[in-house]
Amino acid sequence: MTPSPSLARNEPPRVFVEKVKGALRIAAIDRQAHNLGLHPGLALTDARARVPNIAAEDMDPAADNAFIDRMADFCDRYTPFIANDHPHGLILDITGCAHLFNGEENLRQDLLTRLKKGGAEAHASIAGTPDTARALARFGGRAIALSDEETMAVTSLPAMAIGTSPETITALARAGLKTIGDVTRQPRQPLAARFGEAFIVQLSRTLGEKDARINARRPVPPYMAEQRFAEPIAHEDDMLATLNALCLQIARLLETRGEGGRRFEATFFRTDGRISRIDVETGRPQREPGVIMRLFRERLAALADPLDSGFGFDLIRLAVIDGDSFIPVQTGLDSTDNDEEEVAALTDRLSTRFGTTAVKRFVAVDTHIPEGAAYAGAALRVKDAAAWEMPVGETVPARPIHLFDPPQPIEALAEVPDGPPLKFRWRRMVHDIARAEGPERIAAEWWRHDGLTRDYYRVEDSAGHRYWVFREGLYGTEAVRPHWFLHGVFA
Amino acid sequence: MSRYAELAVTSNFSFLRGASHPQDYVLKALKLGYPGIGIADRNTLAGVVRAYSAFKEAQSFYTKKHGPGAVLPFKLVVGARLVFSDGTPDILAYPENRTGWARLCRLLSLGKLRAEKAGCILTLADLLNHLDGLLLIVMPGHRHEGIGPVLQCLTHASPGAVWLAAAMYHRGDDRRRLAGLQALANETGAPLLAVNDVLYHDPAQRDLQDVVSCIRDGITLETAGRRLQVNAERHLKTPAEMVRLFRDAPAAITEAGHFLDRIDFSLGEITYEYPEEPVPPGKGPQEWLEELTWRRAEWRYPAGIPEKVTRILQDELALIAKLEYARYFLTIHDIVRYAEDQGILCQGRGSAANSAVCYALGITAVDPSEHDLLFARFISEERKEPPDIDVDFEHERREEVIQYIYTRYGRERAGIAATVISYRARSAIRDVGKVFGLTEDITARLAGTVWGSWGASGSDLKVRQAGIDPDNPVIRQAVAMAERLMGFPRHLSQHVGGFVLTRTRLDEIVPIGNAAMDNRTFIEWDKDDIDELGLMKVDVLALGMLTCIRKCLDLLRDHHDIDHELASIPHDDSGTYAMLQKGDSIGVFQVESRAQINMLPRLKPREFYDLVIQVAIVRPGPIQGNMVHPYLRRRSGEEEETYPAPSPPHDPNELHTVLHRTLGVPLFQEQAMKIAMVAAEFTPDEANGLRRAMATFRHLGTIHAFEGKMIEGMVRRGYEREFAERCFNQIKGFGEYGFPESHAASFAKLVYISAWIKCYYPAAFACGLLNAQPMGFYAPAQIVRDAREHGVEVRPVDINTSQWDNILETASDSPPALRLGFRQIDGFKTSWAEDIERLRTQAYDSIETLWRRAGLPQRALKLLADADGFRSVGLDRRAALWAIRRLPDDNPLPLFAAAEAEELGHEPAASLPEMPLSEHVVADYQTIRLSLKAHPVSFLRDKFTKERITACADLANLRDGSRVLVAGVVLIRQRPGKGNAIFITLEDETGIANALIWSRHFERYRRPIMSAKLALITGTVQKSAEGVVHLMANAVYDRTYELDTLSERGATTPNPQSPSHPRNVRVIPGSRDFH
Repeated sequence: MTPSPSLARNEPPRVFVEKVKGALRIAAIDRQAHNLGLHPGLALTDARARVPNIAAEDMDPAADNAFIDRMADFCDRYTPFIANDHPHGLILDITGCAHLFNGEENLRQDLLTRLKKGGAEAHASIAGTPDTARALARFGGRAIALSDEETMAVTSLPAMAIGTSPETITALARAGLKTIGDVTRQPRQPLAARFGEAFIVQLSRTLGEKDARINARRPVPPYMAEQRFAEPIAHEDDMLATLNALCLQIARLLETRGEGGRRFEATFFRTDGRISRIDVETGRPQREPGVIMRLFRERLAALADPLDSGFGFDLIRLAVIDGDSFIPVQTGLDSTDNDEEEVAALTDRLSTRFGTTAVKRFVAVDTHIPEGAAYAGAALRVKDAAAWEMPVGETVPARPIHLFDPPQPIEALAEVPDGPPLKFRWRRMVHDIARAEGPERIAAEWWRHDGLTRDYYRVEDSAGHRYWVFREGLYGTEAVRPHWFLHGVFA
Repeated sequence: MSRYAELAVTSNFSFLRGASHPQDYVLKALKLGYPGIGIADRNTLAGVVRAYSAFKEAQSFYTKKHGPGAVLPFKLVVGARLVFSDGTPDILAYPENRTGWARLCRLLSLGKLRAEKAGCILTLADLLNHLDGLLLIVMPGHRHEGIGPVLQCLTHASPGAVWLAAAMYHRGDDRRRLAGLQALANETGAPLLAVNDVLYHDPAQRDLQDVVSCIRDGITLETAGRRLQVNAERHLKTPAEMVRLFRDAPAAITEAGHFLDRIDFSLGEITYEYPEEPVPPGKGPQEWLEELTWRRAEWRYPAGIPEKVTRILQDELALIAKLEYARYFLTIHDIVRYAEDQGILCQGRGSAANSAVCYALGITAVDPSEHDLLFARFISEERKEPPDIDVDFEHERREEVIQYIYTRYGRERAGIAATVISYRARSAIRDVGKVFGLTEDITARLAGTVWGSWGASGSDLKVRQAGIDPDNPVIRQAVAMAERLMGFPRHLSQHVGGFVLTRTRLDEIVPIGNAAMDNRTFIEWDKDDIDELGLMKVDVLALGMLTCIRKCLDLLRDHHDIDHELASIPHDDSGTYAMLQKGDSIGVFQVESRAQINMLPRLKPREFYDLVIQVAIVRPGPIQGNMVHPYLRRRSGEEEETYPAPSPPHDPNELHTVLHRTLGVPLFQEQAMKIAMVAAEFTPDEANGLRRAMATFRHLGTIHAFEGKMIEGMVRRGYEREFAERCFNQIKGFGEYGFPESHAASFAKLVYISAWIKCYYPAAFACGLLNAQPMGFYAPAQIVRDAREHGVEVRPVDINTSQWDNILETASDSPPALRLGFRQIDGFKTSWAEDIERLRTQAYDSIETLWRRAGLPQRALKLLADADGFRSVGLDRRAALWAIRRLPDDNPLPLFAAAEAEELGHEPAASLPEMPLSEHVVADYQTIRLSLKAHPVSFLRDKFTKERITACADLANLRDGSRVLVAGVVLIRQRPGKGNAIFITLEDETGIANALIWSRHFERYRRPIMSAKLALITGTVQKSAEGVVHLMANAVYDRTYELDTLSERGATTPNPQSPSHPRNVRVIPGSRDFH
């Protein structure tokens, strides 16, 4: 599957690059770039020599994986048995699901149409074994291979479709065996002697002679109930009513087995392919629909990002994720062990309730500029911020606890060029300076903006109050009459 | 007025720490009225000579202004900032006298030789062992921990020679710190000394210092935070400001002046003596040199030394005696003799070829009886520069010569010179871009806009063309910063082969360290530094063509019974010149490029001096000076031979002597220099300064001064402005690649010799050339093709006949054939080839025999099969590969077990399809990069004929102006000089076609031009009077897909393998691109 952003007419061909042995090389391209003859593996400099105006972005494998995961989530509507098939592929085990979609071809069409709407271009094939289907989908084989015609269906595919190492592919090519058919015409014993038993196994799987199980990417929930809608529903009341009905179904299931659930997950499938999952946890096993529904209502109400129904949901599923497999976490004897976690949990809860931007946390910023040294960021986002550095070997506090924002203008009398203030006036009060130390000279961060250099002084007035004042601009070079500011007070 | 001098100076030779050049500090210190300055970089003395040059220049300027004898009231002291690996605080070490300098050099050498490379590992104990003559300033750093004991220890070990530095960093607690240091100083008895611990000469350099700090730490400005300096205070301050800052401790300021007074050492004291090893006991060097020269001259001229040569030798020897250079000549002779004894070919190049003594001693090959030599160009009394001899050795065996020099003189007396790797436009923008957080793609594109002329007008345009907005503030800042960074030293590297040899210990003159290459040690100073201090250097260089010629000469001896050496090849052979006149020069030294091949039929070399011109004329100098066409017209008689002349009263014939050998057109570097001297009245010093200004990019500003002086000087004396401008442009062209006549003459010698071998022994020539790869302009495929066109039979690689090297196979009744060797197979190992040869006591009759007997791993066998090397056992590559795949894997069987192992069992026969010839050809290219079976295009010929495509060879038969279609594989793409035209060389099974496309068509056909491996070009035939045929292209089409049809699907798509030298790229077919 390839994400295909809509192409405006004048947009430059887009390529994604990654660093291979010190050189930037193309890892993926869009159609336009493909049509211009660029291909993955090409060095970016060579590509630019041919097509100067290409737009290059760094490869983001995490984003790719996230996209594939989203697609996999989306395919959940067809079957919970889904496996990743790298690169950029998914294998769906649709055994027993096709009838819900009026047959395999309809399912396939539905899948492709929806993926396309969601912005992904995909190839899909259906066959009796995952390897056969994989070969057909990836190498342009037929859409559906019935269980007795798999061998025939893959015969004309290139040998590469066997899904073996590039080295083996080259060896087969050198031997003149271009297609799977060419390979199958050879006796198996010499092939095994040359390419190993594993190759023979892979070959028979591709031919559909042997089946293999797929490794589903998410554990399949033990209990599940779902409701599909011919006409999508959008009203919250409808959703809650549906969820309630599903709760009743699940509760009956749990009851017959004599079990309870600890974690319940509701999945809302939107018509445009977006999926929202909401889960609730309970302290002890539960199967009382009223209790579960209350939890869900609370969760829905507290969502920072309310459930957006868009053009409506066409499938709602309720699943029990954890039944009795809950393992209690052992806390240490020293109860402070979990402080971090508890703070994190508290942050989570508060952020969930009041919104992510409402809960803030200070982060240390590495800069000489005093007011820039701390930054209040959304607490959820800055969990892993670096710890504050403790000053080493300082005998006096270098910075006051309290900083004025903005610094307070003052009038000061001082010796030129860089003497400390002898007295200053702040809010109509005159402070006579008894003691002073400085200057601490801090220059502006020139790469951000031009700015004046500041000379900071720690001063103590005759009453024993300590202040942190600065003069903005150096005498002679930066300013004729520099301004003075009070930036903070020491406790 | 206080005598404050800054002693804690970090220049940009403390790589990526200091942000000013050493010379900038000297000039700023002079301007501020300092009585002196001390330069001390981190564990290195690499930058001090630069400071010394600036100081000397200032001194001579001062003398000029104030009259002879006037002494500049300024003292430059040099030392190093010792940075220790054992936690000791930094210590500035300044030599008080020559002994101290020697100690410091030894100390740094010790630390550097301990480190793997580019490092220096020192401890306080090392310093305690090298205290003699050193004055020390301990730098306390921001916290004073551990300072007390170090001070106690040092003042005890070296009383009266230890100071404690104090700096006012403007960190708020300056006065408190100063008081603490004062107390410490009183306690230990080490006087307090004021410094500013400077990192740049001017506060405006602070931003650059931030940038280099980020480069050093590999971080961006955004994330650097407090790793950067907090303010811009670490510059050279006025003495008054320093006095004000140190008002609490005025004695610290005075102490700096005292410190300066204590030092009685200048770099000028470094005297230098040549080694005396080569002089036998009981003889004086001059006496021995003369004896050797005459003895060897007799051997050079068996028929008697010509009178002209005798006279030159006498003159040269007299001047050598006067300047006491005898030991230098003897040293070079000693090295050359060693090479001769080992059978290593060598030849001196450069200005040494102007010396008859060098010819007699066998150092150079340009015979003074046949050529007019300009000895003054080599050694002159006025120019107080030591002679500079460059000697080329066979590239495969140069390391033997280098190791001989180390062994003979010892590591402490011989060292390779350094090369200061400085920031150039590309590297600067690359590093600066990272610091500004630009993506690698953007910086690569910015770097790509630079074609050696960054900062020239229109650079904005170029940036915009690269798809980058030059008005983006970050880009603007980054570009501006990169421009300022250019010229900053980045690191030291070893010179390609310049050796400095001394009589006494070299490591007491300059520190020596380990080079990145094994077994190499090199000094901290580069060529310019060595020149400045008058040290002797001998360049031991590598030349691939010498390897090739030696291999050819060996083949002639073994297969043709002819014993030749460089000097004995018959001179003035008309057959050789006839071949060159046709432009038949593939593989011939220096004249094998496209441009040279085109020039040959126009210049029509008839004698040796023509080759000298041929070598020099296709160069940036003559081309930029527009000298090529006038010369050719005069040579063919189309234009009269005239000489530019000044107006009266100047001598109208003053340029005649300079230019008569080149028909009145200046072609060589020394002619251009001579014009500056004669026609623009430059002094020899000025002319030399001009040459140097051109050769290095450091003095960009001075070039304009020279330009005005030369052009106006010539115009004033009555020359035409246009001629004067051309002359100057030519000198600018030489700047990029200076090509003096003597150098051209040395090269021309090798041109002639290689052409002679190619002319008469094409098989041996191709064989030697292939065995000396990688070298030269052409890939093996073209060399083999050229040999076959000259009637050489070329035979494929085979397990039963090939050796590692390519060899000649001689039969009594036919000329020798060339058998390709295993070395042509990519990835094949020498040891495998040796095993195959050694155990080939009787022929291998099957794959299994080879496998069992030679014990080759599967990989080796597969490579052999891929290269189709099993034909002698009746297997083609497909059958061989199929069989090899069946052999057990490489768990090496013990010898006996292998011998006794059962035959592989019977298996059902495979029914593999026959491998078509076209696919064999493709596979040949993939494995040995050439095919003897056919040319890929030959399989497409029928198709091409239907499309009315002309074969390359038929172009020559068409009329000038005919419109044609030509198709072939792209051998070479080239966009020379200013890029007005793009040259494409196509090859098909019949020959080669040279196409030219003007840059105005380029954008339209950019993709096919840049990416096609098989191209179809439409255009018109253009024929010159000399018969040179060009295809003037008007359209280019990519037909690469046709190649895919030659083999199976997937087999021809290029592997995204690691990029390597263009020649080695395994693409069908490989093209060489020059942008």
